[in-house]
Amino acid sequence: MFRPRVRDNEKDALAEEHPLVMVDRIILVCTLIVAAVYFYATTLIPSLEIGDPLGPKAFPRLLGISLLLAAGMLFLEMWKDRKTAAPQPAAPDLWDLAHLRVLAAVAVWTAVYYAGLETLGYVVASAIYLFALMAWFNRGKWVANALTAVLYSGGSYILFVKLDVNLPKGVLPF
Amino acid sequence: METLTHILNGFSVCLQPINLWYTFVGVFLGTIIGVLPGIGPSAGIALLIPVTYGMNPTSALIMMAGIYYGTKYGGSTTAILINTPGEAASVMTAIDGYQMAKKGRGGAALAISAVGSFIAGTLGVVGLTLFAVPLTSMALKFGPAEYFMLMFFAMTAVSTLAGKSPAKAMISTILGLMISTIGIDLQSGQPRYTMGVPELQDGVGFVIAVVGLFAISEVFTQMEDMTKGVRPEIIKLEGKLWFTRDEWNRSVMPIMRGGIIGFIIGVLPGAGGTIASIMSYVWEKRLSKHPEQFGEGAIEGVAGPEAANNSDTAGALVPLLTLGIPGGGATAVMLGAFIMYGIQPGPMLFQNRPDLVWGLVDSMYIGNIMLLILNLPLIGLFVRLLYIPGGILMPLIMGISTIGLYGINGNPVELYIGLLFGILGYIFRKVDIPVAPMVLSLVLGGMMEQSFRQAMTISGANPKIFVGSAICLVLLALSVLSVALPFLLPRLKAWREGSDAAA
Repeated sequence: MFRPRVRDNEKDALAEEHPLVMVDRIILVCTLIVAAVYFYATTLIPSLEIGDPLGPKAFPRLLGISLLLAAGMLFLEMWKDRKTAAPQPAAPDLWDLAHLRVLAAVAVWTAVYYAGLETLGYVVASAIYLFALMAWFNRGKWVANALTAVLYSGGSYILFVKLDVNLPKGVLPF
Repeated sequence: METLTHILNGFSVCLQPINLWYTFVGVFLGTIIGVLPGIGPSAGIALLIPVTYGMNPTSALIMMAGIYYGTKYGGSTTAILINTPGEAASVMTAIDGYQMAKKGRGGAALAISAVGSFIAGTLGVVGLTLFAVPLTSMALKFGPAEYFMLMFFAMTAVSTLAGKSPAKAMISTILGLMISTIGIDLQSGQPRYTMGVPELQDGVGFVIAVVGLFAISEVFTQMEDMTKGVRPEIIKLEGKLWFTRDEWNRSVMPIMRGGIIGFIIGVLPGAGGTIASIMSYVWEKRLSKHPEQFGEGAIEGVAGPEAANNSDTAGALVPLLTLGIPGGGATAVMLGAFIMYGIQPGPMLFQNRPDLVWGLVDSMYIGNIMLLILNLPLIGLFVRLLYIPGGILMPLIMGISTIGLYGINGNPVELYIGLLFGILGYIFRKVDIPVAPMVLSLVLGGMMEQSFRQAMTISGANPKIFVGSAICLVLLALSVLSVALPFLLPRLKAWREGSDAAA
């Protein structure tokens, strides 16, 4: 996927200190951990070899080995990049805590919404959820936000229930 | 002769009012999804799957295909007017299209991309019509070993061509395969990697994964941009929405060439619309008498790539329909939809359900005509979508995603799984791991394991079966080639980086 590189123009001094190499190292370590956990979990599958000669563990083992190979490939790529000392492509400012905090809040708020979806019902829960998000990301436009949140929640409910999609009605009588 | 009858019968299927309606809904939604930066065809199709449960499969698939090729039309509008591709494959359109818009030729750029898309899109469907049947007769010779190698080839090609780093894409592919092994093993009945969660016994629903990986993660990415205050400037569309005779003469050949490149790239797994449009752009620049105009608003640089990324969609449907193996993210989601309706695309489908196959293919001729109309006189309507503030749009996409996640089984646990995939997708984007390979392997994983085990059962656990036939050997050679290709084409890559920086 090639994403537009709008953000990359704003490099700062920090970003020049090979943060990508750092990121790649973390990916490498994570990949190795995943491979190890996967290998371990594979040993937990009970083996009852009936029918096919391979059983349920063979393909997973192959995958585990492939993941190790891919990790090796990544290591080679990192090594090659360091050797040629290619100019680092613009680094995204990964460690910007302020933005991450907002996103974490969105994720938590979404989880809260999911938790309340069945008790409150789709329409009420969605309206509250959307209104809060819009209040933050589309600040100051109270009327427009409230209208969109309510109209969307009600409208999509009617539309999708008509289309036989199962949505929780919750506190509303209909 | 029989095929010709089937092709003509396909028109009687797709001209039924109900199917015409769903073609329209598909291309209309496709244009909207294409215009909106943020959600692409994969997420769009995945979000619609729960809605299509009650529909007859032919209509549902016609609509999904409409979304797929419709996004390519819509994506160019955003590329031209705000210099951001509305859809990944329109990156190249942004380069010269935006420059044209700045010079007041935005109307011409939009018109040429609509007309070019139409011509190339139709060319692509003609190609699909012609190539489908010969390929199915070959596909009938495929046994489990051949299918395994074919999927292997599709995955290596997607891994090496989907992103900057083949290793990261490979990691993404294998993680997807690993996730697909979660759930009860079909042959032995043993639960695998379910961690005691009953919802995981049926495996991770691929719609859930796709909605998370494509839609929710994109919302996170865009919300982050919003908190940073990145806001693109929208160029107001002025002047007539048509091109001059001279502009047309300059565009005809690029459209034809782009259409052919796009179709060929589309048939091959891995590369997809983005690569097709890059290749078309490079080619047009080489052939041009005025290469210095490229990047400054050359209409050839809009016409060629736009044509390429539209005929690509028809090309991408060739392996999906004839072999049952997708070559990229969006077609992988479509395969998932096929499977949910209990339809296995592939050579047998052409024999058993010619009405469905040809109804779908023929609907694309009609869909392209509808798109031409939607994207020329009515383009002004779609441009208005760009004025919806992100602060409203992104929450709404979250809302629609919730319907998509919950609507499948009505199980709240799947909402959280979707959210986790969203967070995973966001992290992947941040660290430049492409998500499309993961989606492809999620969809193909189960089939791949089954054909692996069937082949091994046939051969008595002798892995030589995977190199035991000519087809297997060719596929193996192609896989090796696809791994080597990125090293053979460093010049293209260097050039692309240069143009990215200039954009």
